Amino acid sequence: MIVLTILAMSAIVFLSRYVFLEPNLPIKLNSTAKRFLGYSAPAVLAAIIGPILFLPEGELLVSVVNPYLLGGIIAVLVTWRFKNVLLAVAVSTAVFMVLRSMI
Amino acid sequence: MQNPNTTPAKKLLKGVVVALPISLAVIPWGVLAGSYAIDAGLNVVEAQMMSGILFAGSAQLVAAGMFKSGVAFATMMLTVLIITSRHFLYGISMRQKISKLPKRWRLLLGFLLTDELFAVCGSQKDAEFDRWYALGVGGSFYVVWNIASAAGIFLGSQIPWLNNVGLEFVVAATFIALVVPHITTLPVVLSVIVALVLSVVLGLYQVPGSLLIAALSGMTTGFIAETWQSKRARATRFSEEKA
Repeated sequence: MIVLTILAMSAIVFLSRYVFLEPNLPIKLNSTAKRFLGYSAPAVLAAIIGPILFLPEGELLVSVVNPYLLGGIIAVLVTWRFKNVLLAVAVSTAVFMVLRSMI
Repeated sequence: MQNPNTTPAKKLLKGVVVALPISLAVIPWGVLAGSYAIDAGLNVVEAQMMSGILFAGSAQLVAAGMFKSGVAFATMMLTVLIITSRHFLYGISMRQKISKLPKRWRLLLGFLLTDELFAVCGSQKDAEFDRWYALGVGGSFYVVWNIASAAGIFLGSQIPWLNNVGLEFVVAATFIALVVPHITTLPVVLSVIVALVLSVVLGLYQVPGSLLIAALSGMTTGFIAETWQSKRARATRFSEEKA
């Protein structure tokens, strides 16, 4: 029963990922739809980042003692200045670790 | 965009390297997913199946929790559908890039279409998109996730530090580094602000599907702002012509 349940859940997850990649699906994206979908990547990324930075223990923490938020701000600044993903991750994570051990 | 000097292997490797920080950052989550599945009463094969076939971090953790508390089959399916609904959005956004590929590539990249793959490839222009690069991102992520889960399955609860290392920060930092270069226009700024604020508010009240609701609201905001901007630009041009 557990195996069947896992397979059923896997089918749902796979279909949710695949269905719109299927060329036989009779939908054609017009320019309005494409413009709308152009915002999907930044909006989704923002929606994943938000809870990690602002709700570290499941509770709202907008404060200078929140290492997630401070580290996130460092990541924004380093990316903005140097435009390098690995550098931004390395620097902001180092700052995050230091802050976390201090706070 | 075709560069004859760039072999598939090189593109694949480039994808692996770009995905490296996220792949490393999810190791604790993978270990947690494995040990939690065992803790919920699954056997070794079933627990590995969760990572190998289901392959969806948040859905796996929630599913393990539901196995443990023994909820009804229909409830599990509905819950998984809500958690996984954001993938519909990823699929439709990637349609232009992936739907024209051969079937085995569509199935493969569709299977690998996680938050992480979408984060890296979703904002690429259609011409920039490369199947091997995408496979490098998604494939390496899959391999790392499954090895980490296997570690969790066999080591189980012997790793008490896992919950408390704060490595999810690395995920956030990577996503920040991916999104910031794309925030170049006012509509994108507004879209990001709305998605960010809503994700925090809905997350605070643990609203199901909060990620999707926040993202769609952000997208709508950006779209409306862009429409409004271009209308105003046209109106300005029109009045200048009249004068």
